[in-house]
Amino acid sequence: MRRARSLADLVLAALCLWAAWYHTPPGALFRAALAAVVGSRSSAPPLLSYYGSGARPLQVGEMPQPRAPLAPGAALALGAQATIEGLPAAERAQVLARAGLWPSSTENLGGWIERETRTQGSPDAALLALFCGDEAARFAREHARGRALEDLARQLPPRYADRVALAATALTLGTAYALAWPLPDSAQITSTFGFRAHPLRGGRRFHAGVDLGVPVGTPVRAAGGGVVRRASDDPVSGRLVLVDHGSGVSTVYCHNDALLVSAGDPVTAGQVIARSGNSGLSTGPHLHYQLDLPQGPVDPMRFRAGRPQRFALGGTEP
Amino acid sequence: MPDAAPPATALDTAARLADRVRWIFLPVSLCALVAVGVHAAADVAGGEILRVVDWLDAAFDALVGRWRFTAPLVDLVGPSQRVFFARGLALVWELIADALLAVPMLGYDERADEVKRFRELAGKAAASPTTLRIVFPLVTGAVALSGSCSVGRLLEGTIHLGLPRPLGFAAAALARGAALAAVLGLVAFIAWRAVVHALVRADQRSDRIPRTRARPLTTGLAAAALLLPLALAALRAAPLLSFL
Repeated sequence: MRRARSLADLVLAALCLWAAWYHTPPGALFRAALAAVVGSRSSAPPLLSYYGSGARPLQVGEMPQPRAPLAPGAALALGAQATIEGLPAAERAQVLARAGLWPSSTENLGGWIERETRTQGSPDAALLALFCGDEAARFAREHARGRALEDLARQLPPRYADRVALAATALTLGTAYALAWPLPDSAQITSTFGFRAHPLRGGRRFHAGVDLGVPVGTPVRAAGGGVVRRASDDPVSGRLVLVDHGSGVSTVYCHNDALLVSAGDPVTAGQVIARSGNSGLSTGPHLHYQLDLPQGPVDPMRFRAGRPQRFALGGTEP
Repeated sequence: MPDAAPPATALDTAARLADRVRWIFLPVSLCALVAVGVHAAADVAGGEILRVVDWLDAAFDALVGRWRFTAPLVDLVGPSQRVFFARGLALVWELIADALLAVPMLGYDERADEVKRFRELAGKAAASPTTLRIVFPLVTGAVALSGSCSVGRLLEGTIHLGLPRPLGFAAAALARGAALAAVLGLVAFIAWRAVVHALVRADQRSDRIPRTRARPLTTGLAAAALLLPLALAALRAAPLLSFL
């Protein structure tokens, strides 16, 4: 009895150490320290990737621009395609072969994702199946309480972390590709994304979104479904709404005249969430529209279905 | 002539070796289990942390946006940085909780009469409660339970997904059985000791508190404020029934 107890304690201790070593940030710190001592390269992922679905800065190939507005399934397929094309050739072939999609085009990837979404119960699980395999997705689905990628990812052993991160990247891009435009197509761009001469503060500064010149009171629509994380007023951004679309994607709508939603409200795609205005630090009526992915703000035009960019003089801001 | 002792089996030898290194592997396993539980709790609490960051960001922007020279600070935290900050906060919270709960486990010294020791200390905590005596064992119990479930799930996933696919049902049953055994074993042999050690330390520290009316309740209040939400998150992260 005593002998069995000693061995059981040893086995349980080994299990605890294994889990802490591979599954916690302190474990990653020890792994990194050990690698530094022995002069090798640490396999530990960045500390912050231990939270959520482990999304890491996007490392994708050339991001395709959609030619027409995309349905959610097609948007996911495009996100998955961009992620897969960023992989080394051998890994790319492995992912596509796992899904029986070699050689692949976005079209049959879209069909496969739609089928898997029905089978697995959510697009998140479908992408998990694409990058981690059907069995891993099924296992995660059977044990997770939710259907979101981060709930599913928590069920998988550490060796899947890199592939879960790929699924998270594809989901992020797919969510961004599925976004609509917050204003009618007739709204003209008065200031583009990127560095520019600041109209009020002077000097060259980074503009994190696009400015769309519209009259005060124009309905501002949510670019996609999600949850309002912030509906606030400050002297710089004015009355702003921040909508979290999940998967690391959020959109921000600044300088509104009136906010029609509050923090915590769920919103659907196309729902009117504000009336545009000229509040905050602004030179004229306009909407500052910003798209944020996990690595930072990106140009929303890169995700907008190929409409010509029209430029006009009008209101702008920081 | 006395009977010759039966030859030692490999298991005997392994058990003897395990006994020799018990003084080191037991404290380390307690520390590791609590660390795994703390991480599971901090990960689950991410959504709440993000809400706090959003609220703080809105308040900060409203404040610094009032003056021209501080207005550029409004751009300091954008929507993508808010996730970064929330995860950073979760990491800091986790590391502080590890320092308060997991690292002290390395001081565990095993006694033969653990059950008696627990009863005595629990009785003392009930008779003269202090924040330390109440909060630390409770929080340690919650995170150790959550850690046991996390280890069980990792083991189940590793066995289930590591075995050849044709084994199918057998692999699933084997994985589930191993996970259930691991969770029960961890709760019975490791998590339990972690709670006892947390109670021992809380008792020692409580005995050093000056005997005024308020001090037993105020000492450790900051740590309690930090750890109690984590304990609630740990319970949410412990799907105990899913192993049955």
